Amino acid sequence: MNAGIISPARVALIAGQTFREAVRQRLLGLLLAMLAASAGVALVLRDFHFGTTEQKFVLDAGFGAEALFGSILAIAATAQLFLGEIERRTVLMVLAKPVRRAEFVVGKLGGVLLLLLVFCAALTALLIALVWAQGRPWASAGAGAALFGGIALCGFVQWLELSVLAAATLLIASFARSSLFAVMTAFAVLVAGHLHPLARDFYAATGPGWAAAGARLLSWVLPDFRLFDVADRVAGGPPLSAGVIAGIAGYGIAYLGGLSALAVWCFHRREL
Amino acid sequence: MTAIALEGVGKDFAPPARGPAAPALADVTLRIPAGAVTGLVGPNGSGKSTLLKILVGLGAPTRGACRIFGLPAGSVEARRAVGYLPEAPEFCPQLTGFEVVWYHARLGGVPAAAARDAAQAALARVGLAGAMHRRAGTYSLGMRQRLGLAQALAPEPRLLVLDEPVSGVDPVGAEQFRRLVLGFKAEGRTVVFSSHHLRQVEQVCDRVVMLDRGRVILQGRVGELAGRAHGVTLRVEALPAALLAELREWLRARGAAGCETEPAGGELERVFLRTLAGTTAGGP
Repeated sequence: MNAGIISPARVALIAGQTFREAVRQRLLGLLLAMLAASAGVALVLRDFHFGTTEQKFVLDAGFGAEALFGSILAIAATAQLFLGEIERRTVLMVLAKPVRRAEFVVGKLGGVLLLLLVFCAALTALLIALVWAQGRPWASAGAGAALFGGIALCGFVQWLELSVLAAATLLIASFARSSLFAVMTAFAVLVAGHLHPLARDFYAATGPGWAAAGARLLSWVLPDFRLFDVADRVAGGPPLSAGVIAGIAGYGIAYLGGLSALAVWCFHRREL
Repeated sequence: MTAIALEGVGKDFAPPARGPAAPALADVTLRIPAGAVTGLVGPNGSGKSTLLKILVGLGAPTRGACRIFGLPAGSVEARRAVGYLPEAPEFCPQLTGFEVVWYHARLGGVPAAAARDAAQAALARVGLAGAMHRRAGTYSLGMRQRLGLAQALAPEPRLLVLDEPVSGVDPVGAEQFRRLVLGFKAEGRTVVFSSHHLRQVEQVCDRVVMLDRGRVILQGRVGELAGRAHGVTLRVEALPAALLAELREWLRARGAAGCETEPAGGELERVFLRTLAGTTAGGP
């Protein structure tokens, strides 16, 4: 009943309405306020020196806060905006219109990705402003441009990571019966996505065969969120090359597409 | 022209952990002409909502075929012709009534340039013109019900499918609904709605379909079905008590059998509506 070509106009309409709902729900504003507070705390703590330069401390604290609050936003907003439609039965009114289920799922994800883009862009701008306000530790104009470019690229990579997490949450929400289940499972996926490469390497070296096979299987199924950790490279680490960024972007987009397709398939089979 | 045609429609839901699947609908065959107002009645769990969902494409029948204006139910083309109001609709509380209806008008295929006017017209029609820029979270239950009707109406559908549209609505709201449905009928729209309010179904509908345990147990024109009782109701607005016995005796003497007298049903509702109308007329 819903087979056919997806209409970009309807997807954009659903994404726009989802974004409007998300902004009105004030979760984004609350998290941005918390981030601004975190930045203020980082500015105070930089005087204590934790064995790093001021600039690196601010960047580490900023990207750490972005990862933490961004993950909360990606999971909570996706679960709430998608399952809220089902709980309120507004999904019935939408799908009784000439709207395909795939358009609904992709539109919802589009709205969340837009929300995460605004979040990451705001935080990246805040970080650039903080580094700028610290003075000029860079040697030349070219080095300064590279630093700010690196911060912007890191913000983009974090947005990609949060997008993959949102798509994983959407997949869970497409068959989940409650928001709580979706949120808890998505957090489990987030933790497992950071740890499974360690488990794979550990069991491959020391574990029994079945454990090594299980860990290998997990590493194929779950996204490796550690690949998106590039913040270290912005201040002091090896520079981010175009090839590295392209590889991470390709990996993220592949997972985004795969998880979204699975979410569409699950939601298509769901009895409403 | 036939608006809705169901042929041997059945619907099974996934079976419980043990035991066979209980069919929600079994062998439903119906033909509803275009322009008719049809009431779907039956006890809770009889399959009314399931049947309505099949009509609007929210669920596919397990067996049989369902066509809307000759098109397969659930196809994008069929859904362009349908407006649907689910039971007890809720809306995102942070969005205004106008934003909700504008969005649904656009989803229903109204072009961007005309969506604003379509949304405003639909909201005015259901009596929400003055509240359209308020957030839906501040709406009362009756207003939410009317907002649901407005979103169904905004794309100007030929067929309106309404699930329990007056559930939990006060008598004034129920009266407004009655007038709206009669207006839809005058415009030539087909209306199908489910209800537990049989009196209202009798007042508004041309046809009635009665379901029980997923099967159609009765269907036909309201007048024909009501005539099966072979009785008449004589309504007297005010009768002095002393005349009542005399009237019954007079009727009995002329061969009327089974005469019964009881306070007329719906009196309270009539008094309620009349009093409210008086208050509104004399109010600010």
